[in-house]
Amino acid sequence: MRKSLMVLCAGVAGLLAATLLVPDRSWAVERAEAEETARLLAKLLKAGRLVVDQNQALIDDPHIGNKGFTSEVFEQKVIEEFRTQTGIDLAGIQHAPPSILLPPMAKELLPAFLAASKEVVHDAQVVINQRGIGYKNFIPATYGGQAARRFTARSHVRLKQTTLQPRNPKNEPDEYETSVLKWLSGRPKADAYVSELTDEGRTLRVVMPIYHVKDCLKCHGEPKGELDISGYPREGAREGDLAGAITVTIPLSVRQP
Amino acid sequence: MNTCDRRSMTIITRHGLLMLACMMVALQGCGLLYDAVQAVAPVAKDELDAVCRAGKIRVGMAVEPFRPFVFPAIWTDEGARVTGLDVELVKELASALSRHCGRPVAPVLELVRFRDLFLFLSEAKLDLFVSAVPADIPSPTLAGFAYSIPYFYNGGVAGIIHTTAILERIRTNLHNQAMARESLIGNEQALAGLTVAVQESTNAHFYAAANLKASRLVLCDSLPAAFESVAESGIDVILGAQPVLDFMVKRVRRDWQLLTLDGGTPYFLTRAHYSVVMAEESYRLRWFVNNLLFRLDEAGRLITMRRRWLDEDYAYPRRAAAEGLPFDVEKMVPHYTQGTCRLESRP
Repeated sequence: MRKSLMVLCAGVAGLLAATLLVPDRSWAVERAEAEETARLLAKLLKAGRLVVDQNQALIDDPHIGNKGFTSEVFEQKVIEEFRTQTGIDLAGIQHAPPSILLPPMAKELLPAFLAASKEVVHDAQVVINQRGIGYKNFIPATYGGQAARRFTARSHVRLKQTTLQPRNPKNEPDEYETSVLKWLSGRPKADAYVSELTDEGRTLRVVMPIYHVKDCLKCHGEPKGELDISGYPREGAREGDLAGAITVTIPLSVRQP
Repeated sequence: MNTCDRRSMTIITRHGLLMLACMMVALQGCGLLYDAVQAVAPVAKDELDAVCRAGKIRVGMAVEPFRPFVFPAIWTDEGARVTGLDVELVKELASALSRHCGRPVAPVLELVRFRDLFLFLSEAKLDLFVSAVPADIPSPTLAGFAYSIPYFYNGGVAGIIHTTAILERIRTNLHNQAMARESLIGNEQALAGLTVAVQESTNAHFYAAANLKASRLVLCDSLPAAFESVAESGIDVILGAQPVLDFMVKRVRRDWQLLTLDGGTPYFLTRAHYSVVMAEESYRLRWFVNNLLFRLDEAGRLITMRRRWLDEDYAYPRRAAAEGLPFDVEKMVPHYTQGTCRLESRP
């Protein structure tokens, strides 16, 4: 991987500028749209993870049977969280006019990912609503992994959660992801993402880092090596450490000139 | 008989012959049709053959956690999964069936209430079920089922208590009628005057209903329901499968303890070996399961499984993620609440 090609972006402003400066406009537009779609998809997955995290105590409450954490409730909370983070209202996305801030690809893929996420929460109801059982392993990571896989199976876009020390072998990073994760782990926490063309310009890859927050440390913190509630050894992480990343892979129809 | 009558007779005779001829052709056709169907899609010879043709075996399992035989359903990266000793056994069974059938046979798990397992099996909704069920429960309500040879030896009905005073009382009762301990009366006297909780339709329930006439009996839908109802129902002792109760007090409910005799050995009300349950007429399937269990026992696999789930230190979510089986989520829905307890009315 050519590190010089790596772009650390803080928003879409850079993309707009790139679009105007690159001579082949169709390629530049497609890349800009794909990149913004990838960014929004990663943000939506992050919003879903956050909603699960915010409801973790309820989900793990052994004294309540029906938690009321239905797929519809989850959907509403994710829509609210996503609106707060991006200003985009997923409830009215079908009627929103396409723009550089909401590309046509995103208009199609964001609802598809939300639907996949809803299905996951729906299927997990039998697990979530068990009474007398505390920890059910319905956590941000297991929600996210399943939602990403369902979405990927139905679209041309690959969405994945990955980390350098995966507990699930399916989350093992590929060569490219390993390289980016190592690069990110040496840098301070930032609200940014990595975007790069691979496969001779035919594929866009976006990697959005996830950092450990306080709640994560119950399972991933200290003491390192001691088994957590789910039976995996703790990683000894600290708040703000790189936990992993959400990666989005989008094939481009127009090759880079 | 006039001419008209004679004509009628002739017509009737002709019609009769025609019908007979048609029936003969039709019956012959049926045979040919049957042969043709058999050639294209042969009808299963027996229940084992039917499993092979379907490429799946429908296995029932108790939705109420019977740790370590069946753990609570858990969410994994792959979706909802269950794990446990019984699940490992089902995987062995599916592998053996795949080898026998020459094609993959997938286990289709249905998690339903324990008491409904027998009903579902009798209604042919299941091919078999496995949930730490003793090989032979003497109860008229459980007639018509067949049991494999055991896959788990030396289980049985035991009890747990949460106050030392109850333990002392039971031990004193046992001392007072030491000579009678070899009879059923000994156990009855040991638990006399106590409130005993059991899960409905389990071996413990049938034992208590038949033999513990001097105790108050509380019927619960599940073991978690029994724990939850302790204060409300005044439960002194919870009876159940000894390996399950032992696992619970060691790893989950450490505020409870197993009923033991003076020397610390577990106090069994009765011993039992656990088996796979099938329909009485599933002869071929039973031979197959028996043969598998015999081979697993011979190879030491049953002992390994037992140690793996009863003695090793592990967290079941990780095992569920690595080796758990999916189950029919839709069929679990009406069954997954832990339920309640109620006092059994006795005449």
